[in-house]
Amino acid sequence: MFILRFLARRLGQGAIIIFLVSALIFTLLRVVPGDPVRLMVGGMAPDTLVEEIAAEMGLRDPIYVQFGRYMGKVLQGDLGESFVRPASGAAVGGASFDDATRGERAKVLDLIAETAPMTLQLAVLAMVFALMVGVPIGVWGGLYPGRLPDRLALYTSSLFVSLPNFWLGIVLALLLSVKLNLLPAIGYRGFSYTILPALVLAVEIAPFIIRTLTVSVAGVMGQTFIDIARVRGLSRNQIVFRHALKNSAVPLLNLLGVQFSMLLGGVLVIEFIFDYPGLGLLTINAVMQRDFPLIQGIAIVTAAVFVLINIAVDLLATAIDPRLDY
Amino acid sequence: MALDMGAAPETLLSVRGLSVAAGDRPILTDISFDLAPRSILSVIGATGSGKTVLARALASWLSPPLRVTGGRILFRGRDLVADPAHARSLAGREIAYVGGNPAGALDPTMTVGAQLVEKLRAVRPDMSADDARKKAIRLLEAVHIPSAQRRFHEYPFQYSGGMMQRAMIVDALISDPALLIADNITQPLDVTVAAQILKLMRELNAQFSTAILFICSSLPVACDASDEVMVLHEGRVVERQTPAALVARPGHAYTRELIAELPTLWQGGENGASRATDRERRAIMSVRGLAKAYEVRARGQAGISRVQAVRNVDFDVFPGDNFGVVGESGCGKSSLMRLLTGLERPDAGSVFFEGENVGAASPKRLRELRRRFQLVLQDPYGCLPPQSPIGAILEEPLKIHRIGNAAERRDRARAVMAEVGLDDSLYRSLPTGLSAGQRQRLNVARAMILEPRLLIMDETLSALDQTEQGKLLDLFDKLQAQHGFTYIFISHDLTMVRRVCSRIAVMYLGETVEVAPNERLFFDPGHPYSRALLSAAPTLEERRYRPEDCLLEGEPPSPIDLPPGCAFASRCPHAFDRCRTENPALRARGGHALAACFLNPEPDIGLHETVTETPHV
Repeated sequence: MFILRFLARRLGQGAIIIFLVSALIFTLLRVVPGDPVRLMVGGMAPDTLVEEIAAEMGLRDPIYVQFGRYMGKVLQGDLGESFVRPASGAAVGGASFDDATRGERAKVLDLIAETAPMTLQLAVLAMVFALMVGVPIGVWGGLYPGRLPDRLALYTSSLFVSLPNFWLGIVLALLLSVKLNLLPAIGYRGFSYTILPALVLAVEIAPFIIRTLTVSVAGVMGQTFIDIARVRGLSRNQIVFRHALKNSAVPLLNLLGVQFSMLLGGVLVIEFIFDYPGLGLLTINAVMQRDFPLIQGIAIVTAAVFVLINIAVDLLATAIDPRLDY
Repeated sequence: MALDMGAAPETLLSVRGLSVAAGDRPILTDISFDLAPRSILSVIGATGSGKTVLARALASWLSPPLRVTGGRILFRGRDLVADPAHARSLAGREIAYVGGNPAGALDPTMTVGAQLVEKLRAVRPDMSADDARKKAIRLLEAVHIPSAQRRFHEYPFQYSGGMMQRAMIVDALISDPALLIADNITQPLDVTVAAQILKLMRELNAQFSTAILFICSSLPVACDASDEVMVLHEGRVVERQTPAALVARPGHAYTRELIAELPTLWQGGENGASRATDRERRAIMSVRGLAKAYEVRARGQAGISRVQAVRNVDFDVFPGDNFGVVGESGCGKSSLMRLLTGLERPDAGSVFFEGENVGAASPKRLRELRRRFQLVLQDPYGCLPPQSPIGAILEEPLKIHRIGNAAERRDRARAVMAEVGLDDSLYRSLPTGLSAGQRQRLNVARAMILEPRLLIMDETLSALDQTEQGKLLDLFDKLQAQHGFTYIFISHDLTMVRRVCSRIAVMYLGETVEVAPNERLFFDPGHPYSRALLSAAPTLEERRYRPEDCLLEGEPPSPIDLPPGCAFASRCPHAFDRCRTENPALRARGGHALAACFLNPEPDIGLHETVTETPHV
């Protein structure tokens, strides 16, 4: 009962958020300079042709009319077709303005469905790496505030946070794949291609996990119920693993929610460097090619993922700490 | 005193020459005493006398910089100081500890029952989970937790303070310990609940034959609770006697002083009744039919519940009055304070300050009105900005109301500091180093810098110890004489109210159930709840009202679903049918006293006059 009401309310709010995001993206795309039709037909095409195609595609209608038409389709699960990408592969555009293949342009939904699992795989692996490093260091630091483990946690996270990801990506690629030939770096032809970018991302995320955990574990360890647990006769292990960790999990969970959303939203730089065929790379190309439908589709899907992850995080947090009532 | 005889065979705990220091500063010096099985020994002393350190030392729970510097703690003949491993194995099993802060004592993310079982199985791994659960439920019933079976599965935050303290007593007793160290367990509780807990502790002592070391800071409570009282003064045991002997023939100067300083409820002494109230003048604050409900969404429940924090509040405060509002936690005192000061708007009723309705005033007008009534809060720590110098804190109200220039404001601040007894050298320092008493002086100074007519004191003194309270009350008197302030004291402390207030309103679950002059309330209360409060008040005097006659078991009903009729009916020994269906209104009992109880004779005058306490009643 509680759960159903919660879900109904939060999904309703989510729908509003997604609608607003779509409206904003849609409007901004049409306001900023750069005519997609010009890019599609190529620089040599006559202006009259540009206008003709634009009118045919409905791009000269008022923005709210275009938006209404677009949202109507989105509600039916149709995110539209890419302006430039054909279903077959190679980019449409340039001189081929008058060719007949326009009907075979790729569906935005298909493009996203192809790349999203890649990004999901990268995000999950990066998260696993980051947790493997961050949780032990963070908890250890939180158990001994002000002492060596705490300082170690601080130094590690300072070091990690100050490594620029593009630099680290290039260095790791040089070391691990070029010199040592341990891992593949560029493109994607199997699971092992995910490891290197995931490592770079993990180094980026781990400091947040470490800092959040040291602070929250240290805070929980200072609370009365932990202090008094020893007098009540509980062992140190029971105190730390059953009580302290559970209570410090909520801030970490919130952080993971945000970080995971950001990873799924596409890791632009990393995917670009490693030429990793995920949402990030798709986004970069879509932006460069003024591929309006694709950009809008990615924005809507990402916003939906944000909303869903937030709901999941809040539900989990309520399960951990029943005092929280969303 | 038999302090230095060797440990007799039946001695459970025997402390010999125990000294504890914090770094180089001695906290406890040469403590020696014995505790026989099944006996209750109270330890009493002022703040800083080392009571809690003693409790922690006995529970082997000293954390740096505290450490034992000498002596022995013999438990059944084995020294706990020399053998920390043995001491640890006793913790929670043979030596149990209950602290004074039940609110934070259990993990908020696990049910109370699960934690009781966890604790029991941690100290008795051979016990099955099912047996442990049964035992926990049995004990929860033994400490009178209603519907223990269901409560077992609830979380700590769903327990009230009194229930949580009972649960912590269960937690301590569940492993059948030989010694229970009870450190200030009644301090955070309301008097009526504290009285119930003390009674319970006595029963459990008889039932489970546990020896109890009962540490507390209130002499009446200590005397009430125990077979013998040990007095701790500046880290030393200064005497140990039975309660009756201690009160009759205190042996040490500190004990004599403690007994002499003890405020009294009924036996003469200084009290607020003598204060002349100018009832001929217009009331400075006049409250009529005040009501406020807060909306909360209850967990796992559809819709919104309304917490009726304040329901029917009526009273008048006259210029020069010391008006007291008493009641236990949750009775709506703080909500009332928020309404009186215009921090919130009432749902119904009105608050007139000098003839102007505070509840309906515009925000701008309210700010102007606030120059003339000011508020001093309970928590001396939370209500001062830690990063502002004391001078700036005092000048801020003047700045807000655009009074004077910088130099004038500084002079004014210094003058007020001198008046409340804060040293001039503190002007530039931060409030961080101030004691609780100094902080409350600063709070009073900040409130009076605007030269208000009315000061509302919301539990202003309850964070202070007896001596410091006395000093501040003297200060209030002095300020009143100089500036003609009128005070409203909102408090749960009957002895304080008895000492300073001329007229007192008693609140129960959001209602004023009685409004009476000081003397009348304490000698001829018109409401059974007032009698229950008086019966539970900690005092050494011969009680006029016995707790057994005045209060039924149980806690106040929830303000979310109030029963129809009188809210006190569920705990009132005199309740009859009419009380359960109809809510009595305040009616005059003559002599400016009003009470809301059907047991008082119907007055002859009309209803209107009975609820409106006009100055000429």
